Amino acid sequence: MPDGMLPKPLRYALQALAYAAFAAVLGYFSTSPAYRLRADDEAVVKLSFTHAAQLARPCRERSAEELARLAPNMRNKMDCPRERVEVKVELDMDGAPLYRIGASPAGLHRDGASTVYRRLAIPAGRHRFRARLADGPDGEFSFTAETVVDLAPGQVLIVDFATDRSGFVFTRG
Amino acid sequence: MPSLLRRLRDADDTLGAVFDRAFPAAGNPWRHLGALAFLCLVIAVASGIVAYALYDTSVSGAYESGLRLQRDPLLLGRLLRGLHRYAADAFVLLTVLHLMREAARGHFLGARWFSWLSGVPLLWLLWIAGLTGLWLLADERALYSVTATAEWLQALPLAADLLARNFLTPDALNDRFYSLVMFVHIGVPLLTLAAVWIHVQRASRARLWPPRALTAGCLAMFTLLALAVPAGSLGPADPGHVAARISLDWFYQFAHPLADLLSAKAAWLLAAALTILLACLPWLAPRRAPAPARVNLDNCNGCARCAADCPFGAVVMVPRTDQRRHPRQASVVEDLCTACGICVGACPSSTPFRSIEDLVSGIELPDAPVARMRQQLQSGIAALTASPRVMLFTCRQAGRHTVLADARTAVMPVECAAMVPPSFIEYALRLGADGAMIAGCREGDCEFRLGDRWVRERIGGAREPHLRATVPRERIALSWAGRDAERLQREVASLQSRLRHG
Repeated sequence: MPDGMLPKPLRYALQALAYAAFAAVLGYFSTSPAYRLRADDEAVVKLSFTHAAQLARPCRERSAEELARLAPNMRNKMDCPRERVEVKVELDMDGAPLYRIGASPAGLHRDGASTVYRRLAIPAGRHRFRARLADGPDGEFSFTAETVVDLAPGQVLIVDFATDRSGFVFTRG
Repeated sequence: MPSLLRRLRDADDTLGAVFDRAFPAAGNPWRHLGALAFLCLVIAVASGIVAYALYDTSVSGAYESGLRLQRDPLLLGRLLRGLHRYAADAFVLLTVLHLMREAARGHFLGARWFSWLSGVPLLWLLWIAGLTGLWLLADERALYSVTATAEWLQALPLAADLLARNFLTPDALNDRFYSLVMFVHIGVPLLTLAAVWIHVQRASRARLWPPRALTAGCLAMFTLLALAVPAGSLGPADPGHVAARISLDWFYQFAHPLADLLSAKAAWLLAAALTILLACLPWLAPRRAPAPARVNLDNCNGCARCAADCPFGAVVMVPRTDQRRHPRQASVVEDLCTACGICVGACPSSTPFRSIEDLVSGIELPDAPVARMRQQLQSGIAALTASPRVMLFTCRQAGRHTVLADARTAVMPVECAAMVPPSFIEYALRLGADGAMIAGCREGDCEFRLGDRWVRERIGGAREPHLRATVPRERIALSWAGRDAERLQREVASLQSRLRHG
């Protein structure tokens, strides 16, 4: 028998043990340990919307001097900047601020829609939510909605915003 | 760094030796981690092809198709799912172990940089392939994982907060989502196979497949595991509810808890930093740059044995550039040469019996020319004062075994055991040595990949240049003790005892 070699039956037993240990590692870590996503008494609010705010500046008429400075093929009488303002959102829960965000418009020229997705953990139970959104250059909140929701542990409340449905939409999962 | 590498290599050698107690040396799984990982990839791909035929890519059918397999009364579905999942999990584990082992052995340095660098993208590819596979189950875990991944992607400056909206409500998803994920889940493993092909390009005779016994053992293990611990689905995905705890496949979904722990941006930074660090490692570590092998055309007859034996494809045969009658000559691609000296051992002109005044071989290491080797051999044997006299050729990679030198043992360190031309053994015996031994890395674990194999074949007469049949084999021994100096000492003592009594 070569140096350091164990008897055959013992070697086979050790091989089986090595395979079993490897299988145990695979079997265990393919599902365990369980990962805690939230506390037992927590519910989840998902604030998520995509909304194009108003233009930052209104269209204006170019003066004759301005037009003269432009190339002939660019002499459009109206100057309409593409940039939009950021969308300001405030979400309150039971009268206290839960989340505040100013979402910038997408795009290199800041002319796209503002999008927001935030996952917020809150205590389960009955809560009053108030959502406000400002999307104009004046910064005034032009959309407001309130609701009272009873959320069970783990239940998801989706706070969406849709102008075609006249503002905020609260959906319970 | 060199002392750290030495310590890591010692630890690796010890671990390999532990497996040697149970497994035959050539079938030691610790020395076939890369090949085992490839086997797992192939099992996962093969079982995935069958699973694809049974999978429904619609929103309503995705979850059900997983359950259908799970409920198959003949357990074939359970076997299929288990083989696919556990082979994919093992692929990650074995790949990471393979990476760690190669790093510990310094196999990112010098000419090996290409194999190392080409392995780095493989890590991302295998992770994407596995993660998307878990999404196809359309269960609770899939929804959590896909949402967490979307949230993680949203942390990148270029990504808008739009991705996660696709998983907010049951109506947000459509059938195209699972078709898209399936496309990625099939496409990325195919890319992975291509990347593996690139990864082994610079290794000649790459060991892609593990030995048969290990293949059979792994298949049996996966089968038993699949049947004993079914890789089942969790409950159906419900975007309206978040479970308090969820079972994760930690081999692929480790990134989600990590992003929670560190923040999504920090997790990206960590992933980017690790990727860059791994990719740059060959250039960060201090490099030892041994002089590459050099061809001496006056002594090269273009026999191509050096090219056949080079483990890294660093010797190529090219049309003759001098006016000699041989059609080809050897040429060394210096960037690929690790200066292992295996080509020197393969060259028929590396024989110490030659009577020319200046002994020069057809291919030589400038740092260890054959003439110097012959001189060392002569002086080593001449210095022996006690019997039985043994000439011990030791591989430098296997440790510093010069301490074994004594009145009856002359030690000659060489770069690799296969650097010793078989004629040197015969020459040592002719010079008065009673026996000769070649000692190298552990069997199947040659630092230069193929050294131990070539030595065995050359001494056994199965490979050119072979040891002549007239040389008494009982006076010769091979030792694959690696860095285990005590074992080598025992084997030298055993040879001496044999010589004394035989």
